[in-house]
Amino acid sequence: MEGIEGESSGAGRFTLPPMRISNEDIIFCVDVDAESLVEMKSTGFNGKPITRLDAMKQAILLFVNSKLSINPDHRFAFVTLAKTASWLRKEFSSDIESTLTAVRGISATSACGQADLTHLFKLASHEAKKSRAQNRILRVILIYCRSSVRPQHQWPVNQKLFTMDVLYLHDKPGPDNCPQKVYDALVDALEHVSENEGYIFESGQGLARILFRQMCVLLSHPQQRCVQDDVDIPKSLVKKSPAADTTNGEDTVPVTSSQ
Amino acid sequence: MTYDGFPPFISAQLHYLINHFAHPVRVEQAWSGSKYSNTLDRFTLLIPYCLDTIKWDVIYNAEFPHAPPDIIFGPEDEDFHPFYNESGGEGDSRSIKNSLATWNNKDPTRLLALIWELRDQYMSYQRKRVGEVDDDRLKFEICTMLSREGIEMHMSSGVEKPEEVKFAVPLMDMNINKMVVGCPWRHPQKISLQVIYPVNRKYVSAPSAPHLKLMSTPALKSLFSVDDVKLPPWLDGMCMAEYLPHLEEALERQVSEAVSLIEVRRRFIEALAPLFGRPIETDSVFYRKSMFFVASGAFSFLVLFFLSTQFPKQQPSLMLQSSMYFNSQGMPIKSPLLTDYPWSPRWEHSQMAERTFEFLVDESVNFKKYCNEAQLQQNQH
Repeated sequence: MEGIEGESSGAGRFTLPPMRISNEDIIFCVDVDAESLVEMKSTGFNGKPITRLDAMKQAILLFVNSKLSINPDHRFAFVTLAKTASWLRKEFSSDIESTLTAVRGISATSACGQADLTHLFKLASHEAKKSRAQNRILRVILIYCRSSVRPQHQWPVNQKLFTMDVLYLHDKPGPDNCPQKVYDALVDALEHVSENEGYIFESGQGLARILFRQMCVLLSHPQQRCVQDDVDIPKSLVKKSPAADTTNGEDTVPVTSSQ
Repeated sequence: MTYDGFPPFISAQLHYLINHFAHPVRVEQAWSGSKYSNTLDRFTLLIPYCLDTIKWDVIYNAEFPHAPPDIIFGPEDEDFHPFYNESGGEGDSRSIKNSLATWNNKDPTRLLALIWELRDQYMSYQRKRVGEVDDDRLKFEICTMLSREGIEMHMSSGVEKPEEVKFAVPLMDMNINKMVVGCPWRHPQKISLQVIYPVNRKYVSAPSAPHLKLMSTPALKSLFSVDDVKLPPWLDGMCMAEYLPHLEEALERQVSEAVSLIEVRRRFIEALAPLFGRPIETDSVFYRKSMFFVASGAFSFLVLFFLSTQFPKQQPSLMLQSSMYFNSQGMPIKSPLLTDYPWSPRWEHSQMAERTFEFLVDESVNFKKYCNEAQLQQNQH
């Protein structure tokens, strides 16, 4: 659904033809397995350690706030994922206060052992039909954080009613885990269900600012996206010089970040 | 909009009215007619009329659901008796009386039909009042204006207020909605002229210009702001019949220009992409707003571009929003609106983009400092 020419790198000029895009209904699905309590490498304001769950909550607030700045008619709802998905807040709302309340209410469970996405897809499809009836589009943003549990689902082929994005936080790969396999399973799930181009980002570095950065890329409106390979943001703010190229200045200096 | 607290038979009619009435009607307040119940069965409707609103109270009775509602009109309209009009003239009280006599509370369309009829009658009533005013100039103006369709008029008289006659004159036959590709407007957007004449009962040799104000349906401001329009001057001795075509010609030009500016804004945003990256989200109908995501080393932030309807004469306003620094409520830190940076409307789009980019490279240093300081302040609390 992109009326955009030449988006493969350097192939042509970027264009944005006139087209009405839909307001979004976005479901955040937050993994609340015990692994969400793993500490990040970053520390909080006061130097105290923060958990993945803390960082995920902050990332959600960042997203909601930013999304509403560009368009106050986008709306949000919340689901948690343990063994399966369950509603945390079912009503879609664009009210930031109620988002704050909902997000604060997310707490971790004990180790779940499995992660079944079927119910998540079911409820998302149901909501997607309602959104469509209001000329809106539905998106699911799954934030997953288990390093050895591959998510499963039993979802029919060709039921692509919503867009799905994934953020994956994990431990560094080692003999006792398989984040690569988990990542691959997430990619498969995304490609299986997503209507528009879905984005997936992962990080094993435990840095909150990377999570936030990836979350900002997810702000991209599904009807105005390019394929993930062509994502060129965040763009580096460097004064142009003859040899300037467009690396994202990201893989540089490990910043000791106190957020 | 849901109105809880109304019994279903009222709720259905009220919802139908609000969703289907040709003008945007609102409920100002609702209350219960009974001291012993919380059931709402009365409310005040705000009905657009003559570029203003009139307030009518709609009085149902929850204990007698089959009865039609009573309508109470405003205090200024003591002489408005739509239920007792003599037949003839524009509008007839018979159809209203009929509607009330055969009231069906299970039919959700009835309230709308009733209000519609009453509003029509109200228009006739105001027309009559205005027609009766003993002011030669006014009579002349009315005469020449009435060939236009859709004019609404209102006579205001109150103890403290001077008498004046207000006209709402719809302008331009242009279908503005059709001129906008991907137009999101559900209703046709219209521009009207509000004309207010003071009533002069004495002979005045050189009548003064009436008070003129352009007004538009609210959604139009994404494209065009009537506040930016400089009204053509009202020359001595002019009358509406001469003035209106003048005004319409000027407006048509300005609206066409506003439509062509959509494309200008679009090209500018497209010119930003090579430097700022693909925008995250852009309003791709009016191109008034676009958000980008950039980084200065590890410091990444969002940039929001606001383009006014006066772009490129007026440069874009920018707002920066951190992805990494938050206030005590967990909200990302934002910069103030940046409106003062090197700019010329005569530059090519690519040059506008480059100069704005250069400004932002420098500004990102300031913004980073600003975020750091804001954070430090919070840590101290």
